[in-house]
Amino acid sequence: MAYTLTRADDVIAADNARYPLGERQRVEDPLDQQVHRSVFTGKLEEVLHSAVNWGRKNSLWPYNFGLSCCYVEMTTAFTAPHDIARFGSEVIRASPRQADFMVIAGTCFIKMAPVIQQLYDQMLEPKWVISMGSCANSGGMYDIYSVVQGVDKFLPVDVYVPGCPPRPEAFLQGLQLLQDSIQEERRPLSWVVGDQGVYRAEMPSQREKSRAQRIQTTELRTPDSI
Amino acid sequence: MNVATPHDTTANEAQADPVVVALMQRFGEHAFVEQATLIGMPVLWVAREALVEMLSFLRGMPEPFEMLFDLSANDERLRGNRQGLPDSDFTVFYQLLSVSRNRDIMLKVALAESDLEMPSIVSLYPNANWYEREVWDMFGVVFHGHPHLTRILMPPTWIGHPLRKDHSARATEFDPYTLTVEGQDKEQAALKFDPEAWGMRRGNENSEFMFLNLGPNHPSAHGAFRIVLQLEGEEIVDCVPDIGYHHRGAEKMGERQSWHSYIPYTDRVDYTGGVMNNLPYILAVEKLAGITVTDRARTIRVMMAELFRISSHLLFLGTYLQDLGAMSPVFYSFSDRQKSYEVIEAITGFRMHPAWFRIGGVAQDLPKGWDRLMQGFVDWMPKRLHEYERAMMENSIVRERTRNVAAYSTQEALEWGVTGPNLRATGCNYDLRKKRPYSGYENFDFEVPLGGNGDAFDRGQVRIEEMRQSLRIIQQCIDHMPAGDYKADHPLTTPPPRDKMLQHIETLITHFLQVSWGPVLKPNESQQMIEATKGINSYYLTSDGNTMSYRTRIRTPSFPHLQQIPAVMRGGFVPDLIAHLGSIDFVMADVDR
Repeated sequence: MAYTLTRADDVIAADNARYPLGERQRVEDPLDQQVHRSVFTGKLEEVLHSAVNWGRKNSLWPYNFGLSCCYVEMTTAFTAPHDIARFGSEVIRASPRQADFMVIAGTCFIKMAPVIQQLYDQMLEPKWVISMGSCANSGGMYDIYSVVQGVDKFLPVDVYVPGCPPRPEAFLQGLQLLQDSIQEERRPLSWVVGDQGVYRAEMPSQREKSRAQRIQTTELRTPDSI
Repeated sequence: MNVATPHDTTANEAQADPVVVALMQRFGEHAFVEQATLIGMPVLWVAREALVEMLSFLRGMPEPFEMLFDLSANDERLRGNRQGLPDSDFTVFYQLLSVSRNRDIMLKVALAESDLEMPSIVSLYPNANWYEREVWDMFGVVFHGHPHLTRILMPPTWIGHPLRKDHSARATEFDPYTLTVEGQDKEQAALKFDPEAWGMRRGNENSEFMFLNLGPNHPSAHGAFRIVLQLEGEEIVDCVPDIGYHHRGAEKMGERQSWHSYIPYTDRVDYTGGVMNNLPYILAVEKLAGITVTDRARTIRVMMAELFRISSHLLFLGTYLQDLGAMSPVFYSFSDRQKSYEVIEAITGFRMHPAWFRIGGVAQDLPKGWDRLMQGFVDWMPKRLHEYERAMMENSIVRERTRNVAAYSTQEALEWGVTGPNLRATGCNYDLRKKRPYSGYENFDFEVPLGGNGDAFDRGQVRIEEMRQSLRIIQQCIDHMPAGDYKADHPLTTPPPRDKMLQHIETLITHFLQVSWGPVLKPNESQQMIEATKGINSYYLTSDGNTMSYRTRIRTPSFPHLQQIPAVMRGGFVPDLIAHLGSIDFVMADVDR
């Protein structure tokens, strides 16, 4: 599996540096390097990563942050009918400093962008971003002077959830995809142990993965009856 | 006058308007030029010099025009069809509403491009403050005598006035957005609040004030809304709401989407209101097109709009109580919302933004079995509402937190342009569904719930009662849904009825033109106000005889509601502000558009 490597050292930036900060490079799974070492600790590292990631992915605390319509559907996912607690993410935090991930639920406005950046910076590592809805993904139907055409113009996005707005189920699916990708991550196990880079797995595209199944559909239900 | 009107009597009727007669007696016959439109109220062009005097006459007359309903402008430089109207590059319009007369009047002032200056009317109508700032921000018209004329929707660092015709509309016409470390620091510095710029003192003899920045992201601010509080201890000395973090350029968007393809954008203005937002727009377009819709289409529209009113009020109820510290109501009310969405989804095929109304009708007929589904929801709700009332509104903590908190009188509400449940909570019986029935509301039997104290508690209670009345209306729709077509048989119905289109070549051609270019509407102006979920929402459309609107003005209820906050909160405490914010029921898209 291919990985994207980001190093903390790169984040100390000059004034003219653009967000998202830090160099990204495409690398192989760092654990694969183990076979070239004289003492093989690969299995141990794999188990450690796997255990830490398991803990992380099942207690993701979301930041209570919403911009527009999508936030209503995101909130719906938190309430009883959809019950996000099933996936360990019900602990909404009102402060970015206590949150693990941020959902950009809604339109990213030019006036709001510096605020979003500030809030993202205030979150502590490890942190992730879900871009929820067409506006956050690409500007969507708002190709208009006041709207940033996709939050990935300045934030590193981990999962994109399509829809305008996406259903709560789609958001929950996005959350599970984030969990899957967290399971594959290689983050420093400690600040004194090993490589300090952050390795994020490049996950397969859902569009390609489900295409074969989706094109099987040949008949759509008519909307004439409920 | 060469402006197209369907009835030649429109101008004559307006002539007989007692307000116009009174104005003529007071200011003479040549003081104004009357414009014939489909707006449904007298539209008078007046000289800039006479404006303030005329407005104060209207404000002071017996049964006065108490409310400045709307104030905005129009860049007329590219408008082709304006024969008979005074020369104007930029037109500023003032729309007044008289609750006592149940009438409106619109005054327009023509401005030359070289002389974009107006007198401010803030001393006459306090809510002109934000509207004038918006006109300055969007068109660059300077208002003399305005207390603080700064940008309101765009960032302070923005260059240009977006609603001018020579300003680019698309983000993709600008350089791609980038944010640098330096730019971030600059923008953050520009957002810093400067009390002196607002004429605020940093302390008094006894203490130093604290300035608390609440928002633009705060759990109880309901979206991207910022309010800066000047505090003496826990007491709010003054506060400054700061908006514009949710400006999606919906008005500019109207100038490039066809009359038909603009419908989905209206859904997203008050995003909890769903198809309720389509209604004023569609009704205004139908006035321009001269379409009379079928009874079935009208009843379907009313039914779906009322269903969305319930869904929106449920969201209000959950979040309002959550802001007061009650965690569980939101779980209950969202379960009910899910039930309403099941009905909405079965009928329209979408949850939040169905964009389901069409010019001349609705998108589709009701599916088989809709009545069973709808009846299930209508039967489910009353016991839930009863439970909410018992568990929450009768809860002593909720009562302590909301009774006599952030109260205002009917007179204050009208001065600030407050409409909808927030106005009715003060005891003012003004509901457009009763006062000016549209879309067949006159055929329904329902009551208008009123409050008495105009406090945060009444605003909550009125909405619970409104849900009951909406259920009554929906029940009548289920019982008496008229048979017939769901679309009007009119050449401008977009898209035309499908069965006809498949049989009839002329209709097929019309269909092709309507979906490729869009329907063409005759040059004129029209407006429709409706009683939306949060107050009076109106679309004021100017057609220049094109496939697109020349100017789309959206008057939303939440904009004046937020503007009123400082007037209500001065002297209050911080937790009261949170209760007030919860009780206003606003969404930022309905404020910034």
